[in-house]
Amino acid sequence: MQRAYLSKLMELCEKDSNVLHLVADSGTGYDEMLKRSLPKQMVNFGIAEEHMVAAAAGLATAGKIPFVYTAGAFLAYRALEFVRDDVCFQNQNVKIVGMGSGLSWCSLGPTHHTTEDVAVLRAIPNLMILSPSTPNQVAACVEQAYAHKGPVYIRIGMSNEKEFFAEDYKMPRNGQDVLCEGRDVLIFTTGSILEEVMEAVETLQAQGITATVINVAQVKPFDTTFLYEKADRVNAIVTVEEHNVQGGLGSLVAEGLSDRGIGKRLYRIGLQDTFATGYGKNQKAVRKENSLDGSSIAMRIREICQ
Amino acid sequence: MKEMDAAACKELRKKIYLTAEKGGLGHLASCFSCVEILYTLYHKVLHISKETLKAADRDRLVLSKGHAGLALYHVMALEGLMEEAVIDTFLQPGSHLGGEPCMRDLEGIEATTGSLGHGLSMSVGMAMAQKMDGLSARTFCILGDGECEEGTVWEAAMSAPAFHLDNLVVILDCNQIQKMTTVEETIGLTNWKEKWTDFGWLVKEVDGHDTDALEQVFKEENTSGKPLFVIAHTIKGKGVSIMENNPIWHFKLPNRKEKKVFLAELDITEEELE
Repeated sequence: MQRAYLSKLMELCEKDSNVLHLVADSGTGYDEMLKRSLPKQMVNFGIAEEHMVAAAAGLATAGKIPFVYTAGAFLAYRALEFVRDDVCFQNQNVKIVGMGSGLSWCSLGPTHHTTEDVAVLRAIPNLMILSPSTPNQVAACVEQAYAHKGPVYIRIGMSNEKEFFAEDYKMPRNGQDVLCEGRDVLIFTTGSILEEVMEAVETLQAQGITATVINVAQVKPFDTTFLYEKADRVNAIVTVEEHNVQGGLGSLVAEGLSDRGIGKRLYRIGLQDTFATGYGKNQKAVRKENSLDGSSIAMRIREICQ
Repeated sequence: MKEMDAAACKELRKKIYLTAEKGGLGHLASCFSCVEILYTLYHKVLHISKETLKAADRDRLVLSKGHAGLALYHVMALEGLMEEAVIDTFLQPGSHLGGEPCMRDLEGIEATTGSLGHGLSMSVGMAMAQKMDGLSARTFCILGDGECEEGTVWEAAMSAPAFHLDNLVVILDCNQIQKMTTVEETIGLTNWKEKWTDFGWLVKEVDGHDTDALEQVFKEENTSGKPLFVIAHTIKGKGVSIMENNPIWHFKLPNRKEKKVFLAELDITEEELE
């Protein structure tokens, strides 16, 4: 996803000289090309995330469109007040891009995990939240963030995510895609954990349980059309997120159901108000340790459907 | 200091006090500390007018110590950048005017401040944009000395020289007092000159209540290639003897007895107070 993000951003930078790539010592091999060909549009603020976010707000007052890029945890938590006061309250055209969503920083542990960012940030007015699941979706989200005049937070994963969308994928108006339709369970998911969900759906299908999967790329504002359209047709609704179930996608769906008075049972799969445990060389191992891999998700949904 | 400027600053203090009194709250001492700084900037230095409030090449001023907002509003009104009628709504129901400057509601406010340690970073972004766009405009930022206890001030202090922002001017309203006590008692050493010089700034010191000296320091050509840091030595509560240099006045209005001193020293009649 990082590569997809940076190549899309480079495209925007070439098109619009007001687009800026701001990093906090967080550049990677992928932005070398941007640095070489558009040096004036890349600024490294050093290891100073709060300062970078506030300075981005200052740049935006003069018509610049800064894309602030570093680990999601350092933006959503450390720089929170700067995101709130300087970017969101002032409604500045700043794009905050948190990389390493969920458990992507699998070898570094909870200080780097980004498993409460949606909960924290969705409470802030004026902020659009995008949570792409695959590289092609990242490109569409960056395009959407650029087109939207105002603050946007994009949470992206790291690398090697499985692709489920076409190369020319365009984000639907409601920010949600139906990946498959089934009759037993309605699953909402967001972010790169989509690949685990799709693996689970395959396993469940072999066991005679079919699922509708809705991938939510635009978390805020959250569109409830699919939820209301499909909730009555299934026995159970499930949310799957690589995030605390408190305040994230599970809460969004719960609020949606409750707002409409739909008395359907909702099962929220995610971190159950805990920090994730374990370390691993790859994300899958840490997902497994926290019961968020495909087979754990399939097992849980089978229990729910029984 | 010219008589005219002294009179204007006295009038500003009077208006600030009357507005705070009418609203029922206010950071009077912090406002009085930076009256001459704000007045000099808006009256003599900043390239800005009612017509150019949104011009790309305007000079910008960020009041990082946002709690002196009332001083900013009155100086802006004096320069025709804000309606006096707007100031009359201070803290009234439905008002767009509170203790901290808010750009959502007011034209001419360059940044919303209130939480300390934000303004300088935003100013760095503004000065950077001015440079990127090849403008000769400058960005000015008024910082409190107590505010320098915030960590982001130092993140910004490091970055402005690194980015060669010689169009950025920071004015330290160095009144040596914060809410509870003196800055020195709170954080020990306050050797601002050495600190900011070490961080790569061109540092100048000035009497923060002398408008001539302030004007000179802001207008001197800066050929150093470095951002300018002006230590303005000020007195918190300047202009009312009982308020000067006493921390208890950080966020307080005078009681009935104290009011007499305010009225006498700011040349306010009983009628004006009502």
